[in-house]
Amino acid sequence: MKYLIFLFTGLIILASSCSKTDKNQVSYIATGAISEFSLQYLNQNNELIKIEVTPQSAQDEWKYNYISDDGEIVYISGNYRDINSSLKLMILIDGKVYKQASNEADTLGYLTVSGTVPYN
Amino acid sequence: MKKVFILLNVVLLISIQMLSAQNIYLVGKITDSSTNKPISNVNIKLNKSNYSTTSNNLGNFDIKLNNISEEVLILSHVGYKKKEFKLNHYNTTDTIHIKLSALTLKLSEVEIMGQTDDRLPYSIAKISLKKIEESNLSDIGNIIAREPNIGGIKKGATGIDPVIRGFKYSQVVVQLNGGTRIEGGCPNRMDPTASHVNINDLSNITIYKGPFALKYGANFGGLVNLETFSPQFYSSFQNNISVFIGAQTNHTGYKSGIRIDGGDSSISYSISLNKNKFGNYIAGNGDIINSSSDNYNINAGLGFKVTNGHVIKLSADKSWGRNVYFTALPMDERKDDTEIYEASYTGTNFNNSINLIKASLYHSNVNHEMDNKNRPFSDTVVAISKIHAMNTGGRLAINLNIFNGNIELGGNFEHIYKDGKRYKWLIMQPNLPSFNENIWSNAQINNLGINAEYQQLGDIFSWIVAARTDFNTATSNPMLRLKPNGASVYENTDTESSYLNFSFSGGSSWQLNESNKISISFGKGTRSPDMIERYIILLPVGYDPYDYLGNPQLKPETNHELDFSYNFNNDRFGSLSTSIFFSYVTQYISTVLVPPSQVKPQTKGVLGVKTFINIDEAYLTGFEIAYNTPQKNRWLIQFNSAYTMGINPSATAYIIENGDIIGEENVKNDPLPEIPPFESNLWFSYSFFNKKLIPEINIRMVAAQNLVSVAYNEDTTPGFTILNFKINYTYNSQLQINFGVNNLLNINYYEHLNRRIIGTNSPFLEPGRLFYTNFIIKL
Repeated sequence: MKYLIFLFTGLIILASSCSKTDKNQVSYIATGAISEFSLQYLNQNNELIKIEVTPQSAQDEWKYNYISDDGEIVYISGNYRDINSSLKLMILIDGKVYKQASNEADTLGYLTVSGTVPYN
Repeated sequence: MKKVFILLNVVLLISIQMLSAQNIYLVGKITDSSTNKPISNVNIKLNKSNYSTTSNNLGNFDIKLNNISEEVLILSHVGYKKKEFKLNHYNTTDTIHIKLSALTLKLSEVEIMGQTDDRLPYSIAKISLKKIEESNLSDIGNIIAREPNIGGIKKGATGIDPVIRGFKYSQVVVQLNGGTRIEGGCPNRMDPTASHVNINDLSNITIYKGPFALKYGANFGGLVNLETFSPQFYSSFQNNISVFIGAQTNHTGYKSGIRIDGGDSSISYSISLNKNKFGNYIAGNGDIINSSSDNYNINAGLGFKVTNGHVIKLSADKSWGRNVYFTALPMDERKDDTEIYEASYTGTNFNNSINLIKASLYHSNVNHEMDNKNRPFSDTVVAISKIHAMNTGGRLAINLNIFNGNIELGGNFEHIYKDGKRYKWLIMQPNLPSFNENIWSNAQINNLGINAEYQQLGDIFSWIVAARTDFNTATSNPMLRLKPNGASVYENTDTESSYLNFSFSGGSSWQLNESNKISISFGKGTRSPDMIERYIILLPVGYDPYDYLGNPQLKPETNHELDFSYNFNNDRFGSLSTSIFFSYVTQYISTVLVPPSQVKPQTKGVLGVKTFINIDEAYLTGFEIAYNTPQKNRWLIQFNSAYTMGINPSATAYIIENGDIIGEENVKNDPLPEIPPFESNLWFSYSFFNKKLIPEINIRMVAAQNLVSVAYNEDTTPGFTILNFKINYTYNSQLQINFGVNNLLNINYYEHLNRRIIGTNSPFLEPGRLFYTNFIIKL
């Protein structure tokens, strides 16, 4: 009986000790541009990636998905040179919009969306 | 999960009750034959059945029994003569009163930490295992802070930093098991020593007020020894299991632990697993206070009795802290991984002149990570600080009988290492610029000390003298802070210092008659500056909103303290103890503003940069008074009251207008900051069913603190009174349950030592009404 109690208690402690894995699906989305723009984003290895994107229409959507731990920095910035163009950037965490920003016919042509994956 | 957890506990409880239902228990009390005071921690064993237990802090015990007529009770305690007690003349309904005689060759009191001798003149507070177990508190600092004239600086969910008689931070030594030290990582002391120890592993706490206990290292304002469970030896092989489960509402969470220990007369072991997890809480006014924490640990120990009287013990502890919120700081603890390794040898079986030889080694290793990700400022700058802190040391003590007393000669060594950086990402900038800053740069402090202590403890007159010398050296790589573009903000290459410090203490106590005792103690305790005071590089680590800069050439400060105490102890009227103290501190470590022309602040929102300096002097004085009705009564009333005030005779206050410093003024007799106000506590309890069921009401009355430091822009705090209630039920020696309500009237209040919520002047409120329960099972 003594060992049964020990076993039960051990199980209780172990069960409560096992923290859930805090993984999150992060998605970067860039859309709304009608001409070439550049993007910088942090990938799943925390490397800053720079790419050029040439959309066919304003409805085109550039998307990058990866799995992230709680607390990791999420970052995407875009720069477009065509003052007639526009750009909308979004960061989604587990399918929900975490942060977004857009520029429409803005001569600045630069925008950044960033933050950290919230702790659950 | 919560329902399964409750169900399993109920099953567990019922199982224990069924197991215990058929047993008979013998109840008794053990007292000192000369002083009539209860003796705690007496090992009590039955020779036939081999059942064993220990007496509690009131000297009470109960032990499972099969056949009373055949049994002999064997009582042993390190400071008393072993006694065998035949039970054949007693009934199981009798309460047995046993008196033990003190050993003539008594071991030095502090070698067996937690088993202090009442004849010593020092002001010593003891927190027993029972008191620790019955509390809902999970933070050791919080438990210590409930003692008279002790407070705790609270910045978040855990890591409450004790303030003893107005002394704080490195002015108070907190150690484990008679010498093990832990250097926390956080510059804002998120993780002081006590936060690295799981409360479920504690067996008792001893607090030495004043600079009197000198054998463990330099002692300035007080010493707190946290004694953890260690492997114990048994006459025949056995295993024991202890389970602790506590849960509470409001600050919703639990503390849980299991300990298995056992062994025989030559080898023993212990292993424990603990997990504590708490959420946010609701204050008395309905505000939600971010205060969640999660920590768990594993502790294992081995003991070897090489030959009779020669014991070697080894232990290792690994703990993990995760996502601990610090509402009053600019960052939260993201993770804290700590390892503590201890090895000790205790030899007692030499000859008539050598009482004891003790040698111990330890190493503690802290990897502390914190960030600002839960702060609004992280929208533009994400900052993560990673600190590595180590403390390695050892102690040797030889205790000898000489001139009708005993002398202890010894030495100790401590090496502290600290290194860490803060990494910053400007997350709204193109190209995601990042850079790092030194917080500590390979900073090291070494302290080598030798000490001697002589004591004679008598029934009428006792006295003790002690002295120690410390050689303290410190070094660091250059203190350097650069701008992101590489330009220098601050640089100091003059980082080496060394000091030779001398401390001494003495005291005597005089037992005037059976009931009255007076004591006097005096001491001069010198401590060298700590890591923060020497090497912190531009961080806001103080009470006030300034960046702080370490001063490697800061001198040691010295506390000269005088204590008087009077104790009355009488079976009819109860016990009264009073003490008053006066401290005169020279080379007091304070702070001064650094002109902006020399260095500019680097933290958003601070007013300027301060650095540490020695000032001529400061004074502290105060008193403690405690009264208990006689322990023999079923009803018990306890009362205590304490007060401390501290004065800086000549302080400098800075005049601030619209967030800028526009001048300074001299303040005469400025109160020292962060000193708790006058506080009184009253407890009423009544024992039912032979002390098995004890309800208790506690009224805690804390006065307003209006004596606040002008130089530190300290805020006043209103007074408050709260009502707490608890019921302790001891079913038998194997099962205890307690249930309680803290802040029964849901009063909205905060302690004076709670820091303000970061970025605001809002107080860090304490929890409102809170229900809790604890189950303690020992098999």
